[in-house]
Amino acid sequence: MQFDPMEIADLKAELERLHSASFGWALNCCRRDATEAEEVLQTVYLKILEGKARFRGESSLKTWMFAVIRKTAATEYRRRLLRSFRFTADTDEVDDRVSPFENQTAIFERSEAQTHFQGALKELPRRQREALHLVFYEDLSLREAADVMGVSIGSARQHYERGKKKLRESLTRLEMGYGNNWGRQETPSAV
Amino acid sequence: MEIIGDDKKLRALYSEARTAANAATPSFTSVWHRAQARSLKPRRAFNLSFALVTALLVLTLGSLAVWSMYSPRSNQPREAVNNPSTATPATVKSPEKANDKEEVRIAEKAPTPIQAPVHRSAKPRVRKPAMQPEAQTIASNTTIETWQSPTATLLSSPTDGLFKSMPQLNENANEMKSFLPGRSNDKEK
Repeated sequence: MQFDPMEIADLKAELERLHSASFGWALNCCRRDATEAEEVLQTVYLKILEGKARFRGESSLKTWMFAVIRKTAATEYRRRLLRSFRFTADTDEVDDRVSPFENQTAIFERSEAQTHFQGALKELPRRQREALHLVFYEDLSLREAADVMGVSIGSARQHYERGKKKLRESLTRLEMGYGNNWGRQETPSAV
Repeated sequence: MEIIGDDKKLRALYSEARTAANAATPSFTSVWHRAQARSLKPRRAFNLSFALVTALLVLTLGSLAVWSMYSPRSNQPREAVNNPSTATPATVKSPEKANDKEEVRIAEKAPTPIQAPVHRSAKPRVRKPAMQPEAQTIASNTTIETWQSPTATLLSSPTDGLFKSMPQLNENANEMKSFLPGRSNDKEK
């Protein structure tokens, strides 16, 4: 079942507005692999075009879109993993591949603070990383983050709090220069 | 700008990361057009995984059918032991034999107790019609000793006598020549 052309035109404008944020979320879901993130985003648009993913207005478009991206990224990851088990040569190819994102942001990645920050993020469990990303990067509330993650708000809050605590510890350990400033001051604005 | 509190610091770090990611974001138009092109592309009809699973399923079902066909059945041997009279004599045709073209029936000897077979076909057995009384009499009268091989005629030849008699050592040369073909035997004269 496909969308109505008029409906598609409206949706396309909305998706274009969300494109940048969607790519950022896709990047997070694909472990900062820009090629994979782009592929995932393409698959998501394909799903929308083919009517496999349909927005029913039960939540905000952004929340719905992020949930679709998250699901698609997980499916693509499983598929890649299976493929790498079947053909070991493919694994090497994936490992050796240089992400264009890495090239373009090479200067940015060289920033020590960001390098440490990205390293600390990689150490976090997936759920915690997702919760933090949705709140801090995408400016979503915890309720919206819970909707995207497909968990209860209580669970999302747990992931968010634990993630923040772990990230703080990691950053302190890595001596980012923020050492003395990593206090316990909390801002409940996200909730 | 002085950053106060964990959340603000984290927000600042995330903001930096977002700025970098925005710079590297592929254009919406290109991604959308590629997705559109993919949606218009005909899908591959043959799915290797699906074909493999189907083949495996067919193979499993086939082997199950074969196994059930040749699995031993408990009721058939019991039935055979209880009704030995149902065993019918086999009929052998001898089309080669010139003299006796009629059917030679072999009466089976007294049926021995049947042991449970290892493999038995699951096909439903078609019961042969009961024999006519006349045919039954003929079958009982003939025995296996009267049976002749259909190729027995091929073993007999006109020169059988020649091969069956042996020349003796005390016979003279002329007598021995009589065994050679095309020579008249003086002794017979």
